[in-house]
Amino acid sequence: MADKSKKTVLVVDDEADVRNFLKAALMEAGFDVILASDGFEALEAVEKHVPDLISLDLVMPRKSGIKFYHDLAKNKTWSKIPIIIVTGHARDDLGKSDLRELTMSGPGIYLEKPVKPHNYIAAIKKLLGMETTPDENESAEQVRMQNELKNIIDNADPDTLRKLKELIEKKSGGR
Amino acid sequence: MPETKATNGGELDAWAFNSIFELVPFSIAIIDRDYNVVKANNNFASYFGEWRDKKCYAVYKKLNAPCPHCTIRDVFADGQPRVNDVDGIDQYGRKAHYIGHCAPLRPDGRGRVDYVVEMSLDVTGTGMWQQEYQILFDRVPCYITVIDEDYCIVRANESFRENFGDVLGRHCYEMYKRRKTRCANCPAAKTFKDGRVHHSEHQGTGKRGQKIHYAVSTSPLIRDSDRVAHVIEICNDITEQKKLEHEVIEAERLAAVGQTVAGLAHSIKNILMGLEGGKYIVSLGLQKNDKDLVSQGWEMLERNFDKTTTLVKDFLSFSKGRLPKLVMVDPRTLVDEIVDLYKDVAAKSGIELKAEPDDGIKPAPLDPDGIHTCLTNLVSNAIDACLMGEQKGSLVTIRVRENRDVLVFEVTDNGCGMDYEIKKKIFTTFFTTKGGGGTGLGLLTTRKIVQEHGGKIIVDSQKGKGARFRMEFPRARLKSLYLESEEETEGD
Repeated sequence: MADKSKKTVLVVDDEADVRNFLKAALMEAGFDVILASDGFEALEAVEKHVPDLISLDLVMPRKSGIKFYHDLAKNKTWSKIPIIIVTGHARDDLGKSDLRELTMSGPGIYLEKPVKPHNYIAAIKKLLGMETTPDENESAEQVRMQNELKNIIDNADPDTLRKLKELIEKKSGGR
Repeated sequence: MPETKATNGGELDAWAFNSIFELVPFSIAIIDRDYNVVKANNNFASYFGEWRDKKCYAVYKKLNAPCPHCTIRDVFADGQPRVNDVDGIDQYGRKAHYIGHCAPLRPDGRGRVDYVVEMSLDVTGTGMWQQEYQILFDRVPCYITVIDEDYCIVRANESFRENFGDVLGRHCYEMYKRRKTRCANCPAAKTFKDGRVHHSEHQGTGKRGQKIHYAVSTSPLIRDSDRVAHVIEICNDITEQKKLEHEVIEAERLAAVGQTVAGLAHSIKNILMGLEGGKYIVSLGLQKNDKDLVSQGWEMLERNFDKTTTLVKDFLSFSKGRLPKLVMVDPRTLVDEIVDLYKDVAAKSGIELKAEPDDGIKPAPLDPDGIHTCLTNLVSNAIDACLMGEQKGSLVTIRVRENRDVLVFEVTDNGCGMDYEIKKKIFTTFFTTKGGGGTGLGLLTTRKIVQEHGGKIIVDSQKGKGARFRMEFPRARLKSLYLESEEETEGD
């Protein structure tokens, strides 16, 4: 941590394989990395050293991602740390409501497992306002659009969706 | 009665005759050979009306000519008394239903019959009761049959005949279930044997081949007797309820399938993430010519391939057929098998595994493979919990107990235990606390198997204080499931 230009990312995930994977990708991209396997360890890590960004899983034993997030929100400095959510529970009952709360009130960026390393790095660089390579830039833009679309569809009421579908069908039928 | 004493024998006879003639609860008329009513009592007059100078057919039936089948004429002809069930008309023109006793009168003591006395007992009320009873019997929304000791139907109500067909001389098992032999778990047989009421549920076949579910209660047709000659079977049609029940179960199953698919998708996503990571680290290692990185990535790949195998295996056992195959087994042998299987694995990790079956546990109808799976899951969880805990002298105990006709399997450990948050999730989702080691299907499968046995699984645990999983199987439920499965195989 001697190099001040190096940014630090805290990776919180209960699966060792995921932690090691993300660590390798981050280090390759020139980040310093701290690892934590649940909300408790993550909180300890933040107390020791405030990271520039937190990569957070939602469903973990002991202390879940959302609980950890609530803890962060209580602290003025910590609440400003940008967060990216990496989860496999974006669409099931375990994670859906937590994710909704987080995207509505908080960081708003999430990646659904499995993630590609360059997508992951691009999204993080974007969040930190760092320059991205053209490659990363493209995938970051892709991720952003995918997320936006996902959000729209997830939050749309069935009526609007049906109208949209009819509209599209009419357009393609009216050629 | 001083007056009576004063009179002589002949006067007494006449007085007694007249008194009785008026007092008997019959309508009495004396009729001659020309159908004239020559004498009648007051009962008769108040029932049929004025009789003097009238023909019997005019009085009894308000007719102008003798009845086509005249009982009185028959009595005059052969001198034999007769009893008939007769419909007439009373003095107000209403239908009169009466039992007519016709007897010859021979004024000279023997020989020629000069008169016939007809003594009528009004049964209009009784007849109505009979009719009402018949209507009740026919229309009550139940199937009712009365069977004799040969299981032949001697009576059946209209509802039964409409749904099952004509019954004359047929056996109940032919009618209810289209069988050629008696049913294995016949409730009527029990009633014949012990004279008590028995209840059970069955599936039969109607006359158009339709499936009919019914709940039957069989009771003896007599009270307070040692020998039961007839049994009455009263059946409630529960086909509709069964259909609704089935729909509810189907809906629940669909919901469960949804949950299952979501859970499966999540498990696969996690494995893919691991594979993605392994792939990335291997290629990173190759790029940098870093052997350590390559082998780290390769291990990751291997681990996640193994996870796929475990997931598929767990998933297959979770989705296995719904009905348990019940056979009589000694619960203790099931437990011994598990101990043999896991003893070495546990010992290697410094965990003691032991079985503590109570004495005198009777064999029970269980699905040995199913219970084996349950115990495997619980014991391997217990071992994992011990590994995750900080307790020294780790111990896993399997107990078999019998508690008020409930067979109990209990797996106890002194491992890491669970807090409320985890306990809440263990059965309902694909939740796992084992990171890479678990699929989140083990306990779900266990619960499913226990429920299929009509039992339940209860967990008792506190964080840091170990856990106890208890599977309870009420013997009565096991028995009825066993009988059901036997009947089904017999029916096929």
